[in-house]
Amino acid sequence: MVKKIFSWLISPLGWISLLILALIVFSGIIWGINLTQITPEQPIEFPHDRHISFGIQCLYCHQGASRGPVAGLPTQTKCWGCHQQLGITKTSVLLKPLVQAIEKNEPIQWIPVATVPDFVKFNHRPHIAASLNCEACHGDLSKLTIYENPQILNMGWCLDCHVEKAGDDYEKLVKLTDCGTCHY
Amino acid sequence: MKPIDLNIIGAKGAIAEEAEGKWGMAIDEDLCTGCQACVAACAMENNISFVGEEDAAYGRTMHWIRIERFWEGEYPDVRTTSFQPMLCQQCGHAPCEPVCPVFATVHSQADELNLQVYNRCVGTRYCGNNCPYQVRAFNWRDYERPEPLNNQLNPDVTVRQRGVMEKCTFCIQRIHQAEDTAKSEGRELQDGEFDPACAQACPADAIVFGRVDDPDSKVSQLSRQKRGVKHLEDLATLPRITYLKES
Repeated sequence: MVKKIFSWLISPLGWISLLILALIVFSGIIWGINLTQITPEQPIEFPHDRHISFGIQCLYCHQGASRGPVAGLPTQTKCWGCHQQLGITKTSVLLKPLVQAIEKNEPIQWIPVATVPDFVKFNHRPHIAASLNCEACHGDLSKLTIYENPQILNMGWCLDCHVEKAGDDYEKLVKLTDCGTCHY
Repeated sequence: MKPIDLNIIGAKGAIAEEAEGKWGMAIDEDLCTGCQACVAACAMENNISFVGEEDAAYGRTMHWIRIERFWEGEYPDVRTTSFQPMLCQQCGHAPCEPVCPVFATVHSQADELNLQVYNRCVGTRYCGNNCPYQVRAFNWRDYERPEPLNNQLNPDVTVRQRGVMEKCTFCIQRIHQAEDTAKSEGRELQDGEFDPACAQACPADAIVFGRVDDPDSKVSQLSRQKRGVKHLEDLATLPRITYLKES
């Protein structure tokens, strides 16, 4: 039985079917990895570029970044503060979810994109305090509408920057590359 | 000159030998009433699972701190000794560390603590078997949290999965938070500014936490007392917790 299968496998037909099987598995893996990298759909197609072109600071909406671990996503009332003064708010189709959220007094269900897994404890404050700008990690948002991560937020990427920032300061290097700094 | 990192080549403890540690604890057994408030507070702070009756009977209870009690003497003249809260001693020369095949339990050079890196842990349970204090807990299952209880999970602490070893961290999330607050205000961290969950909950103030490398801190002053005892010190584990007991 086993011999029969083996002899079929080494025949040209067997070779080709093996190759097709390998191709299916490979493309499945690629597709799966690709799925994890797709930016999710947001309730409002928020144009970052337009807001930045008006000169609005990142910290105006993501105000937690300079003070604590989480930058935060704006509530509907934060948006309404400016948008109620704009005529386009009532007429625009894209802004309909915002008007609805205000009428129902419900928060906008933003989907966080720049996230880390549960076992990573990220804190924005020390990064801002170390005079890093938002675009150092989040990319240049003046050219982007809906937010996408400019790179995969993984540990190698974090550590590369930590090692670079520590420089020759050994004590700083120990602190910045310690497991307990991010994982607990 | 840059000191050699002996942790990398596996000669752990060689540098820890003379290190006195950073964070430490003093537990006064004469004050402890055995009320278990620390055990409850620890479970709440650190997202510790409730294993339930069946697994508890197998000895799979998960506590990062437990109250031990002992008896002295033969049956009619039995005398109980004082209660002994037992938690990870954050050894300077920890037996759990060199046995981990994947370096999931490592010694933090920055905080002088024994870390458990959950995302590295593959669950060999070797560290738990090698711990002379028996303070490590293994997640045998993904234990369920009934409906309202999932809302009390602490977002600052990882929720562990099945197959991962866990243990007391000296509430490292509170250490980091306090250090971060102090740094943002441009000052040094002061003694007694924050406490781990167990010390905070203790109604008798039997648990005192602080810097052991600072001779003026409350924990250092208590540790220097004559009553101070370090458990299993003869194993050269360099425990960071001093137990105070009038013998």
